[in-house]
Amino acid sequence: MCEFALEMLGITKEFPGVKALNNVTLRVKKGTIHAIVGENGAGKSTLMKVLNGVYQAESGEILIAGKKVSITDINKAQNLGISLIFQETNMIPQLSVTENFFLGHVKCKKGGVVDWQGMQEAVKKVFDELGYTINPRCLVSEISAAEKQMVEIARAISKNADIIVMDEPTSSLTSDETERLLDIVRKLKTQGKTIIYISHKLEEIFAISDMISVQRDGEIIDTKPASEMTTEEVIEKMVGRSVQTEYPVRNTTPGEVILKVESVSRKKLVQDVSLELHKGEVLGLAGLVGAGRTEFAETIFGAAKMTEGTILIHGKAVKIRNTKAATRASIGMLTEDRKETGLALKASIKHNIVISNLKGICSAGFWTNSKKENDAAKKYIGQLKIQTPSVNQTAVNLSGGNQQKVIIAKWLFSDVDILIMDEPTRGIDVGAKYEIYCLINELVAQGKSIILISSELPELIGMSDRVIIMHEGRQKGELSKAEMTPEAIMRLAVS
Amino acid sequence: MGKMKKNKISYLLLDYGLLLALLLIIVVVSFISENFFSTNNMLNILRQVSVTGVMALGVSIVIIAGHMDLSIGSILSLSGVVVMTMVNDYSMDGVGVLMALGAGAAVGLINGVIIAAITGKKARTGESFIITYGMQTAIAAFTLLVTNGVYINGKGGGFHSQIGKGMWPIIIFVGMAIVFYLLMNKTPFGRTIYFIGNNEPAARMSGVNVKFYTVAIFVIAGFCAGLAGVILSSRVNAASSTAGNGMELDAIAAVVVGGTALTGGKGGIGRTVLGVVVLGVLQNALHILNVTTYPQMIIRGSIIVLAVLFDVLAGKIKEKGGKV
Repeated sequence: MCEFALEMLGITKEFPGVKALNNVTLRVKKGTIHAIVGENGAGKSTLMKVLNGVYQAESGEILIAGKKVSITDINKAQNLGISLIFQETNMIPQLSVTENFFLGHVKCKKGGVVDWQGMQEAVKKVFDELGYTINPRCLVSEISAAEKQMVEIARAISKNADIIVMDEPTSSLTSDETERLLDIVRKLKTQGKTIIYISHKLEEIFAISDMISVQRDGEIIDTKPASEMTTEEVIEKMVGRSVQTEYPVRNTTPGEVILKVESVSRKKLVQDVSLELHKGEVLGLAGLVGAGRTEFAETIFGAAKMTEGTILIHGKAVKIRNTKAATRASIGMLTEDRKETGLALKASIKHNIVISNLKGICSAGFWTNSKKENDAAKKYIGQLKIQTPSVNQTAVNLSGGNQQKVIIAKWLFSDVDILIMDEPTRGIDVGAKYEIYCLINELVAQGKSIILISSELPELIGMSDRVIIMHEGRQKGELSKAEMTPEAIMRLAVS
Repeated sequence: MGKMKKNKISYLLLDYGLLLALLLIIVVVSFISENFFSTNNMLNILRQVSVTGVMALGVSIVIIAGHMDLSIGSILSLSGVVVMTMVNDYSMDGVGVLMALGAGAAVGLINGVIIAAITGKKARTGESFIITYGMQTAIAAFTLLVTNGVYINGKGGGFHSQIGKGMWPIIIFVGMAIVFYLLMNKTPFGRTIYFIGNNEPAARMSGVNVKFYTVAIFVIAGFCAGLAGVILSSRVNAASSTAGNGMELDAIAAVVVGGTALTGGKGGIGRTVLGVVVLGVLQNALHILNVTTYPQMIIRGSIIVLAVLFDVLAGKIKEKGGKV
C-alpha cells in the first residue's frame, strides 16, 4: 500500500498570459490533514480545480494511492474518491437539508415515487456518525453557514470520498462555529480520511494540520510538518518578504462627535441602540453572528427601515430614507459580502469605482466624461495599490483583497465622511489584510470616521479606538482601548 | 504576438458576427435581386422597422436593467386607439398624440411602481416578467372593452396622419435611437442602469435609488410603446385593439438578436438598432425572394434561436480565453 493518498507531480497549468501553476508537486500522506496556505492568486484554487477535473493540466500527473489516474471531469474525481467543498457552498437555500443532500440522485421507491423517509433516515445516519444535531428536514436557508459546511462534508462522506478538499471552509464562520467545524475535521482524520485544508487563517491551520505546504506565485515554496513551522515563517514564505507588526500603529486622536445615533430600532433585529462616532475615530462593533451588527449598520445606511430613533450628523437630525439619502449625508458602507452586494462583478473596475458619485465624472452638467472617469479610477488604483492591468478589467478577475480595495475606492471617490466597514478583511490574504488596515489608518488620518464590524477579535482590538458590543440586537456595553481584551469582549457578547 | 493578434480578430468576429451576417445577407440578395439594394427599398425597410424599432429601444433599457416588459404590445394598441379616437371624434391631433404618449407612460408608471415596490434586497426572480404579463392582459382587455373590438378607421388629413408617412417614421426612429444611445452611454442615468442590471443589490448598497430607476425604465418603455402606437396608427390610418398583439415579442427578439443579454447589464442601444435592422432586412429579403409567409416565419424563428446560441457561445469562448 502506498504511503501517499494523493500525489500531484510536476503539474503545470497556463492561462493566457499567466502561468497559474508552475511544476507543482504535492504529496499528501494518507490519513493526515494537509494544509495549503498562500495569498490569493497563489494558485491554490487552480491546483484544486486540476485535482477536481475542472481544469486540465498541460503537464504533470496525478497519482491516487500510488496509481496513476486521469481526471477529466468532476464525476471522474468523485468516482476516485475526491470531494471538494468550496468556500461558497453549492446548496439550494429553498430546499431542505435532505433534498440538498441527495441533489442529483434522489432515492426513489418502486414506481418512481420519492422515498422521503428512506432519504431522511440515510441523512440522519450520516449525521449521527459525525455527531451533528442538524435536523434533516430544515430548509438550508434556515441553517447557519457552519452547518451548511457540515452538511457538505457529510455529503462528501456519503459519496465515499477518501480525499476531502476544503477551500476556505471557515471564512464566514464565527469562532465558535469554526471550533465545531475543526472538531469535525479532526474526527474525519480519525476515521482515516485524508484532508486537504486550504485557509488564510493561520491559527486554524496550526490548530489542526499535520503538514503545511506554502504556495506562492503558482509554486509550492515549502512543505513541512506543522510542528516544525512557526506563524512568522509561514507568513514570510507566503508573501516572500518579512511582515512586521500585524496591526499598523495609528497616531491620531479622535475629534468632535460627527455622528450621533439615538435609540435606533429596527423591528426585533435592532433594539434601542445609541452611539456616538467621533471625527477620525475607528469604532468597533463586536458581537456574535446574529447579534444585529450588520442589521444596525444597514439601518444607519438607509438600506433597511428604521422603526424608531434619530440619527444626527454634525448635530443635525437627518432623515435617511434610503441609501441615496445616506450617501448624501456622507455615509458609505462596505458590505460583508462583496460579491453579492459590494461589486458588479461583470462590470469594469472603473464603473465600480464611480457608481456612487457619477456626478463627479460629469462635465457640462450631465454628460459623463470618460477622461474624468479614467483619471479618477487611475488615481485610486495608484493610491490604493489595486493590482490590475487596466481600469477596464472586470471586477470578477481581481483577487479578494483588490476587490475590497475597489469598494473602498468607490467610497473615497464619493468622499464620504463616515464609512461603515462590515467584515472588510473576510476571505482576503494576510498581505492584503495589512494593506486594508493601513488604508483604514490613512482614512482616519484624513479625518474620516469608521465603524468597523468584524468577527475577528484580534482585528477589532488591534484597529478600534473603542468597541461597542452587541448581543441579540441590543448593545451590551462599551470598552475603551485600555479595557479591550478578547475575554472582556466575549463576556459581553455572549451574555 | 501573433497569437494575440489572432485572438483579437476572433474576438471582433464574436462581437460583430451579426453585423457580418447582415452584410452577407445584403450582398447575397443584392446579387439575386437588383431591386433589393436600392435607396427606395432601404428606406422602405427602415420605415417598416420603425414601429418595432421604437418599441425595442424602450424595452432595451428595461432588459439592460435586468427586467422585462411584456405589456408594450398592448400599450401600442391602447395608444393607437386613444389617438385615433381623439382625432376622429374630437379632431384634436396634437392633444391626441400627447394623450397616447401619456397613456403609454402612465401604464409604464403603474408597472414601475408595482415592480419597484417588490424590488427588495434579494436578487430578482423575474417578477417583472409576470407582472407586465398581467398588465398586458388587462390593458388588452381594457382596449377591447372600449372599442368593442371594432377597427377604428382614420379619416385622414391632419397632423397625426403625417407621422407615419414619408421620412417621419425613420426620423423618429433614428432620432430616438440617438437620444437613447446618448442616454445610455453618456449620462449617469445610463451608467446606473447598467450597474443595476449587473447587480441590483450592489447598486442599492452603493447609494443608488433603485426604486426611482425601476419606475423610470418602465415609464420609458411605456412611452416608447405609446409612440410606436402613434406611428403605426398613422401609417395604416387605423387603430384596433389587437394591433400590437405579439409585437412585444418582436421587439424583445430584436433586442436579444442584437446581443443584449436577458440577464441584464450587458448589451446596448447600438446592438438593438442592429438587431432591429437585421430582422427587418431579413424579412424584406425573404419577401423579395418570394418566400411565402410560413417558411419566412420558420427562418425568422430559427435566426432568433441561432443568434442567442451564438451570443452564449461567444460569451463562453471569451470567458475561457480571457480569464486568468
